[in-house]
Amino acid sequence: MGEQPGTPGRRRLTERVLGGGEDPDPRFTLANERTFLAWIRTALAFLAGGIAIEAFTADLFDEGIRTFLAVVLLVLSMLVSAGATFRWIGVERSMRRQAPLPLPLIAPVLAVGGAIAAGVLVVVVLQG
Amino acid sequence: MPRPHSRRPAPPPERPHEDEGLQPERTTMAWGRTLMSFVVVSAVFLRWLPQHGPFVLVLFGLAVLTAGSIYLTQRPRYARSARGIAREESAPEAGAVLATALAVLVLGALGVWVVLVLV
Repeated sequence: MGEQPGTPGRRRLTERVLGGGEDPDPRFTLANERTFLAWIRTALAFLAGGIAIEAFTADLFDEGIRTFLAVVLLVLSMLVSAGATFRWIGVERSMRRQAPLPLPLIAPVLAVGGAIAAGVLVVVVLQG
Repeated sequence: MPRPHSRRPAPPPERPHEDEGLQPERTTMAWGRTLMSFVVVSAVFLRWLPQHGPFVLVLFGLAVLTAGSIYLTQRPRYARSARGIAREESAPEAGAVLATALAVLVLGALGVWVVLVLV
């Protein structure tokens, strides 16, 4: 409970994940954490979407299409969550070494995944 | 909270840091929104009960557990970030970040398993 930024256990985990370097401005670290959390909420929205497709659209889509859409959304949520973690680590490491921030890789993943799901929906709707 | 080894005297509880951008507050609220998202996801999982049976309760429980752990760690996390700002020392929440991401990954993987295998 009384753990502080400098507690040995906390320091050890941080150092193993983030490596050495100098402490950046704490405000940047908190901003990075909020960005990570925003991505996690995006992932959770995809997760909820995948569950909802599978739960609510039984009389709307065929079994196969429903399963495909649900799996695409669930896998997308996993990719976004993993990408958010790697980005959080990458940004934190760059800040500790005063290096340039890494390029965002999750954004294209999100765009492609969203396009696939939307494309399937367009085909299904057009075929009635 | 007693802090015998702190380098500086504890800031007054009504003003634990001097950051005018209220970064610790905003970050704590971001964790709060994430907590709510986990609660929503846990509730949506319950809609799988009629189709997929009682195994879904494991998924429901995991989402509730994650939300509960975020809730229970909010105060110490806020205190750490306020202290970090006060001392100009960054305290990245590696444990909380990794655990939250892992929870989403496990929920997603179990969800795919339920949809494809359990049926």
